[in-house]
Amino acid sequence: MSRCILLVEDDRVLRSALFEALSVEGYKLKTAASLADARAQLLHAPPGEAIDLIVLDLGLPDGEGQSLLSEVRRTSNMPVIVISARHDEGEKIQLLDQGADDYLVKPFGIGELLARLRVALRHRGHAAEPALLLYQHGLLQVHLKTRRVQLAEVEVHLTPTEYALLARLVRQAGQVVTHRQLLLDVWGAEHTDQTHYLRLYMGQLRAKLEADSTDPQHLLTEPGVGYRVAESDADV
Amino acid sequence: MISTTYTRTGAVVLLLGMTWSAMTLLEHKLDIANLAMLLVLASALSSLWLAAWASMLVSAGSMLAFNWFFVPPKFTFTVDIYQNALLLLALLMVNWIIAGLVIRQRHLAQAARTLADQEARLRQWGDTLRDASDPAAHAAALRIALQEATGTSVAVSVLRSLDKSNETSALLLGETTHEQRSGLSLCEREGNAMGPGSGRYEQLDDVYLPLRGRRVTLGAALITGLGAHANGLQLKPHLQALCDQMGSALQRSLVTEQEQQAREQAQQQAVRNALLAAISHDYRTPLATIMGAASSLQEQGERMDADQRRRLAAGIVEESERLARLTDNTLQLARLDALAVTLRCDWESTEELVGAVLRRIRRRPDGGRVSVWVEPNLPFLWCDALLVSQLLDNLLDNGLKYCPEDTPVELHAKSDNAFLLLTVSDRGPGIAASWQEKVFEVFQRGEPVRSHHYSDLDRGAGVGLAVCRAIARAHHGELLLRASGEGGCLFECRLPFAGLDSTPLTAQVPEAQK
Repeated sequence: MSRCILLVEDDRVLRSALFEALSVEGYKLKTAASLADARAQLLHAPPGEAIDLIVLDLGLPDGEGQSLLSEVRRTSNMPVIVISARHDEGEKIQLLDQGADDYLVKPFGIGELLARLRVALRHRGHAAEPALLLYQHGLLQVHLKTRRVQLAEVEVHLTPTEYALLARLVRQAGQVVTHRQLLLDVWGAEHTDQTHYLRLYMGQLRAKLEADSTDPQHLLTEPGVGYRVAESDADV
Repeated sequence: MISTTYTRTGAVVLLLGMTWSAMTLLEHKLDIANLAMLLVLASALSSLWLAAWASMLVSAGSMLAFNWFFVPPKFTFTVDIYQNALLLLALLMVNWIIAGLVIRQRHLAQAARTLADQEARLRQWGDTLRDASDPAAHAAALRIALQEATGTSVAVSVLRSLDKSNETSALLLGETTHEQRSGLSLCEREGNAMGPGSGRYEQLDDVYLPLRGRRVTLGAALITGLGAHANGLQLKPHLQALCDQMGSALQRSLVTEQEQQAREQAQQQAVRNALLAAISHDYRTPLATIMGAASSLQEQGERMDADQRRRLAAGIVEESERLARLTDNTLQLARLDALAVTLRCDWESTEELVGAVLRRIRRRPDGGRVSVWVEPNLPFLWCDALLVSQLLDNLLDNGLKYCPEDTPVELHAKSDNAFLLLTVSDRGPGIAASWQEKVFEVFQRGEPVRSHHYSDLDRGAGVGLAVCRAIARAHHGELLLRASGEGGCLFECRLPFAGLDSTPLTAQVPEAQK
């Protein structure tokens, strides 16, 4: 069954371009040009056509997209991908911490949007999907159940902290995780300002897991926002 | 005042006492005319300290007492010898004349002193104002000067702008009643003195003096109770002179300020116009490509083969990316131009920043030409991650754009004492020495087709490099262009690892809790 996406975007041209592009990929699409419109569609979706994911533009004629994000988050964990024309790191972090699954800054390529959609749907979409037990990307394998990490089939020894950090990122593979969230989940609430812990441990992880630590393939940096591990290979 | 009066009276009493004692002691050794001389001397001396009337009284009293105690027959006011009567009379006259002269002299000296004081005060005031960059700040000094000159309480109101409608710009010093405030503002508006001795509102107790510049009044001073002041009316011209000096100085500084503002505004306008013209020019080129390719796909698409369509689409994507970069750079430049830029600094890892930039660059078709070397174990860098990424991205983009397609672009990062040294070098045609500073100027364009590749400068390289330098400087670093050993350009960026405002790093990193 194809997934249904609610596209909330007030610019007509961009809306129709995205509509075309996503339709071609086999998604079912509903569109809204305002917050009110989007709310109505969310409330009155006919049975069997439930919305699986929202692509949300921030600046809408009747308000900020953030308000819809927080409304949705109060009742469901439906994936929300934010698209914004603003290039503001603070805002991105805020959105991610508020529960957005990912963000894209305009202008973006359709390939990027499709990748984010795929990841977001995989993580949240359907409860039937089993919890991730094995992450595999290229030569890197992380066995979450046995806490083993292998690089090209060779065991890599990680300290408990290194493993905790890697596992946290892997659980959300393909999605950016903010510095704050990582510090909170790995070190605890009193360390959320100590971003240099992350720099240090990410450096160690890259040294152990990347062929060239200045050109990482697995552990990716989103400057000023957080980290992301590359999306798990499709066949896993 | 009171204590000095007491001191003076005391001095006179002491002097008279001493004189009378001397006269009593010498009574039998000197004749009466000589004794009288002592008395004349004492009276003349006492007139140095006493007011005119007191001096007259003292000499008349002395004469009577002298007559009573010394002139025979003693202890009567009668005078038996005709000669003695003449002596007494002459004595009294001489005393009075001397007293009169001494007192007159005293007054003249006092007046001269006052004038000298006033002159000195004016001169000093003039110096203060001449050196002042902001005479409004000297309103307090004017207030003190006026208070010193009059000994009464003073309020000063000063305009801080030549635009009189701008009421909020007035600065008021000193305590005033509501009435006095309206008096001050009336005086300010009319530019005339008010109060006793001014011919206007004579019934007032207080005097209002305008701070006059040329054809304009820039404030007013209120001198409370000057009407009741002993020599207030004589002081008035002096006070007005002080006020007017302040007025002229205020006008001078306000006019200068206005001039400077106008000049700055004109300059800003010129820069903004140049920027806008340049931006719209630089946007046109990629837009033209996009428009051409997209309209061609729209109108001729059906007649093209798949490869042709793909090439056109690739052109659209590439030029859109260029537009996006140009937009980011222009925006960042505007942001960094603002007076108070707030950087979102944190301890960053150079390896990570380079890695993120490299990943983005590698997505470009020509991104494979970039090679990177980062010194292992570099200290953390206190910086705004986004800005430094943008700097690196622009430098690499610049290298890729202006160099032959098969040559490498190299990014090196290493430490140089307290600095991170980032270098981006290419093997392109290089930039003439005379252009090595100009490339960093906003929207600077190269001389037309001076070198083949740098004719591309015409395509808005300027904004990218200008942003890079602005970013380096915002981090208290520097970006320079040097000649590369292998020909081509070598951009050298030096950033301090630790900023002035960097938070200290904790040496120990705790283990994970979960």
